[in-house]
Amino acid sequence: MKRTTLTLLSLLVAACLLLIAPAAAQSTEPPVEIHFAFLTFNRVSEALESVESAIDEITVPRINVKVKLHPYSIADYAQQINLALQSGEALDVFHTLGDLPQSVSQNKVMDITDLVDEYAPDAKAVVGDFLKAAMINGRLYGIPTYKGAALAPNLVYRADIMTEIGIDPTTITSFYDLTAVYAKVKETHPEMVPLTPDSAGSLGLIRSLHGIDFLGDDPFRLNNVGALIGDSLTVVNFFESKEFTDTIALTRDWYNAGYILKDAATTTSNCLEQLTGGKAFSCIASYSGQEAYVQISAQTGRDIRMVRLGQPYLTTSAVNALTWSVASTSQHPEAALKFMNLIFSDRDVINLIIYGLEGRDYVKVDADHVRYPDGQDANTVPYTAQLSCGIVGNQFIQYAMEGTNMDDLKLWDYENKNSPRSPAFGFTFDNSGVTNEVSAVQNVINEYLPGLSTGSMDPDVELPNFIAKLKAAGMDKIIADKQAQLDAWVSQQQ
Amino acid sequence: MNSRKRTRLKLKKSLPLLLMALPGLAYLVINNYIPMAGIVIAFKKMDYAKGVFGSDWVGFDNFKFLFSTPDAWIMTRNTLLYNLAFIVIGTICALAVALCMNEIKERFFAKYFQGAFLLPNLISMVVVSYIVFAFLNTDTGLLNRTVLPALGVSEINFYSQPQAWPLILLIVYLWKNTGYASVIYLAGIASIDPTLYEAARIDGAGKWDQIRFITLPQLKSIIIILTLLSVGRIMFSDFGLFYQVPMNSGPLYSTTQTIDTYVYRGLMQLGNIGMSSAAGLYQSVVGFVLVLTANYLVKKISPENAMF
Repeated sequence: MKRTTLTLLSLLVAACLLLIAPAAAQSTEPPVEIHFAFLTFNRVSEALESVESAIDEITVPRINVKVKLHPYSIADYAQQINLALQSGEALDVFHTLGDLPQSVSQNKVMDITDLVDEYAPDAKAVVGDFLKAAMINGRLYGIPTYKGAALAPNLVYRADIMTEIGIDPTTITSFYDLTAVYAKVKETHPEMVPLTPDSAGSLGLIRSLHGIDFLGDDPFRLNNVGALIGDSLTVVNFFESKEFTDTIALTRDWYNAGYILKDAATTTSNCLEQLTGGKAFSCIASYSGQEAYVQISAQTGRDIRMVRLGQPYLTTSAVNALTWSVASTSQHPEAALKFMNLIFSDRDVINLIIYGLEGRDYVKVDADHVRYPDGQDANTVPYTAQLSCGIVGNQFIQYAMEGTNMDDLKLWDYENKNSPRSPAFGFTFDNSGVTNEVSAVQNVINEYLPGLSTGSMDPDVELPNFIAKLKAAGMDKIIADKQAQLDAWVSQQQ
Repeated sequence: MNSRKRTRLKLKKSLPLLLMALPGLAYLVINNYIPMAGIVIAFKKMDYAKGVFGSDWVGFDNFKFLFSTPDAWIMTRNTLLYNLAFIVIGTICALAVALCMNEIKERFFAKYFQGAFLLPNLISMVVVSYIVFAFLNTDTGLLNRTVLPALGVSEINFYSQPQAWPLILLIVYLWKNTGYASVIYLAGIASIDPTLYEAARIDGAGKWDQIRFITLPQLKSIIIILTLLSVGRIMFSDFGLFYQVPMNSGPLYSTTQTIDTYVYRGLMQLGNIGMSSAAGLYQSVVGFVLVLTANYLVKKISPENAMF
């Protein structure tokens, strides 16, 4: 009942706008309803209708589209999308989560090459050369989320301890400088672990190597036996590279010296928990900008600072892991694209999706900043998807939470545009021709990589076994396939 | 004429029973039989735009990944051997516990032990894995901090010692499942006619003879049925036990990798539902064949105990 009145109301508003600006929408056809799915890390809200009608008030007059929001939690997202696609349930716009080429080869997303210029020109303009990352074989399958994609590896450390041991953090420029730091920490605080994993089985060192393009995803999440190193366009086995062997040798030294958590290969307690508990000095993780420590300090209750161990390096997968796409089963691709255009270009629409209704779900602090209404927080307001700020559309036209340094956001944007790019930026590897090898190789990597990259396995003994098992699992076939696809891509670019 | 009448009479008699079975049957059909049509996915290259039934056939391509790896032998061996051990040792332990529990005549203690044995079965494997972790981990674990130093043994990094895990997993399995299985046997024991024991006692049979000549033979058909049911699942493994409890530790794969964990690890990133269906179908078909074989053998040896 309430919904119909609201709809009527929005239609009325729409009608008024039509009268005022008849040029804005010439058609008198009823608005098209599209279904919009996205991942939320907040509580999945039940107050969707009020937000939907507020969005409709903007979109109906402008593009004659109404929207139904479908926020899903991380546990449900992939399954809900697959179900909706399989069962033909209404779904028009959603974002991929990870492997874009897989969504393309399984035909989950629509080819929008011929539609994007007409229906989503603003979105296309916003993302700039990020668009290349959503192209496969010269066809466009979506528009990558525009957020801080240029991640730089950082040492995240306890500032109080760093001061105590008397080391100037600005002298640290790469992880090789850390041996001396950790030795001092171990000496003055034997009860403390100098370095803890940033996620299960990874110390973050491999992710902080500069100039490596894994041509897919990083090796901890997706098997990546073939990588590009530096400017070369020859796909090599990363695990046989000097970069990898040097890194794990250093890690092994640290492990033997007691600088690393003994259970680093298997522990599931992450860096933040270890810092909060006060038993850890540092971890190595990648962030955009230079202000992430403010939030980490707040979350852990410790005095945390960061120092960069390297500069950002943009690869395709850093950009296209979240790509906004039109569902292959959509009945209204044009309307879907028109709406997608707005989440990249219309401040009001995106802020409604992220923050809900002004006054009820948030209040403005100044032109750029918002906070929750007095006495409320993310869990008590009727609607918020604040934690999806880096997922939906364009992050740089959203409001920021109170306390965010807008200069840091400018740095994110600057580094998105100016960071060095892999020579294969825009290339995506389609592994559907080598799925048997991929599943075998994935198992071998799971078996060895966490142990080797956290120092608990001796590289002198286990690295040769690792390489031999990779070869037996069909690694060379994957590398050859990657090289062939890359060569084809390179010749296409010229 | 006469026989038809009899059939009708029989039907009339059993009609209420049939009606009562109807909801259950409907559930079975909707929940277990209709989804079987989805088996076709195992033979298709999934294309979401064309849908499950419209996608292209690819024959047995989706099954290849199960056999094209050098680990195929290890995961099959582990799955079969662990399950065999679980069936044999699990049954013996459950029977022993049931027999002991049956001897506890004091009501309070009988209930207490039943509850205590059943409790682990109600705990999620994720929680169990952290209980095990609290015993075994290198930095703060009970064994490495308290027990081994007391014995003068240096610390052991259990999560990189594959040879220790068959025993660890067996202990965890028994701790978690013995109570549940023993309750079924206990119920079986309770239904044995007490006059049999009385007669035996008069004839001078001791406790051991009573167990050997009355309890075990009476329980034979339950034991056989439970064993046959487990044989049907012999290619499946308890995912939580083999994935969560070893903390997904790589160096342990040689003794903890089973078909289920391999499929999960290999396909989690690929997200290929054709290949995962193929794995499930393969396990089910092998299990089905094994059940038929086992049942056939039981039929040969003692026909009255066979399931069908």
